[in-house]
Amino acid sequence: MLSSAKHNKINHSAFSVSSSSSSSQGQNKSQVTMEEVWKEINLGSLHYHRQVNIGHEPMLKNQNPNNNSIFQDFLNMPLKQQPPLPPSSSSSIVTALYGSPLPIPPPATVLSLNSGVGFKFLDNTDTLVASNPNSFEGSARFGCFGKKRGQDSDGSRGDRRHKRMIKNRESAARSRARKQAYTNELELEIAHLQTENARLERQHEQLKMAEATQHQVKKTLQRSSTAPF
Amino acid sequence: MAMSRRDPLVVGSVVGDVLDPFTRLVSLRVTYGQRDVTNGLDLRSSQVLNKPMVEVGGEDLRKFYTLVMVDPDVPSPSNPHLREYLHWLVTDIPATTGTAFGNELVCYECPRPPSGIHRMVLILFRQLGRQTVYAPGWRQQFTTREFAEIYNLGLPVAATYFNCQRENGCGGRRT
Repeated sequence: MLSSAKHNKINHSAFSVSSSSSSSQGQNKSQVTMEEVWKEINLGSLHYHRQVNIGHEPMLKNQNPNNNSIFQDFLNMPLKQQPPLPPSSSSSIVTALYGSPLPIPPPATVLSLNSGVGFKFLDNTDTLVASNPNSFEGSARFGCFGKKRGQDSDGSRGDRRHKRMIKNRESAARSRARKQAYTNELELEIAHLQTENARLERQHEQLKMAEATQHQVKKTLQRSSTAPF
Repeated sequence: MAMSRRDPLVVGSVVGDVLDPFTRLVSLRVTYGQRDVTNGLDLRSSQVLNKPMVEVGGEDLRKFYTLVMVDPDVPSPSNPHLREYLHWLVTDIPATTGTAFGNELVCYECPRPPSGIHRMVLILFRQLGRQTVYAPGWRQQFTTREFAEIYNLGLPVAATYFNCQRENGCGGRRT
């Protein structure tokens, strides 16, 4: 019937929500219910968030400038309605991101909410999204834990490798800093010990000299006092 | 003498992660057994089991100092999200004496880093007066900077640090 046909349409064009919503509205305005439209938005937004939620590690801040436009474009799409909590199995994904139903929040807030999530995936997994619009329903269930099992694409492998490389670099930098700090400390110690050693040697010499002269003076006999008788 | 960028505390990022740049005003000597702690010295847990001997410089016996010992690399240096952990807190240390003459508010806890090589930092502050510093509620999520601000300790007057790893650690490497 009409609803199933619409459902198919939604599946195929999950990425371009605007076109599907406008076309469905153009077709049979009277037949379009709130449920249909909201399902549309739901699937569209979840599609994005499934991608975004896969990487849980904090993302590089310098990635954000590039992704700002993408996310803002998403926000600027004609999604006038709120994305409320969906009853489907993917509810955990959306609630993890939004917590409670929000009107489309200003980009800054959304970015801060999602700052701990792999934004980068929006870039790398675009090809994945475009090629698998039909498998959305199934893979949504794997959303959170598909990292090890499901994600065998080059994109995520590359990202894991990239993250590992960054961590390794940081570790190497820490190791070099450790070594350099200890070296500097030893050099300072040496300088300090050298000056103190020089000072003590000089002091020792002076004392030795003073003792020697005193000794010389005492070698010759001298009258210290004369008896009265 | 201001802190140079070659100073071991700067190179080891202690100034930065834990402290703000400061000028050394008072001597601080930390000794574990027979071993004097020099910045960046590598020690294992077994070598720091018991509290070290700490000697504080200064001249005026009426001045009191606070010693703080923290680990900024908890739980691991690559991901220190629990920074910092308070290992030891001694207050009211009179100048020219040591921790034995102070008030041990938080008893010494032997560093046992589960993973990686952790920096263990000892910081000396000059108190405004006697009995003006109090212990925090817990050891974890300690912030030396905040602590100093709360009790009007100002900038440190001395600091030193060493590197510590667990007994069977392999230099922070995964085998």
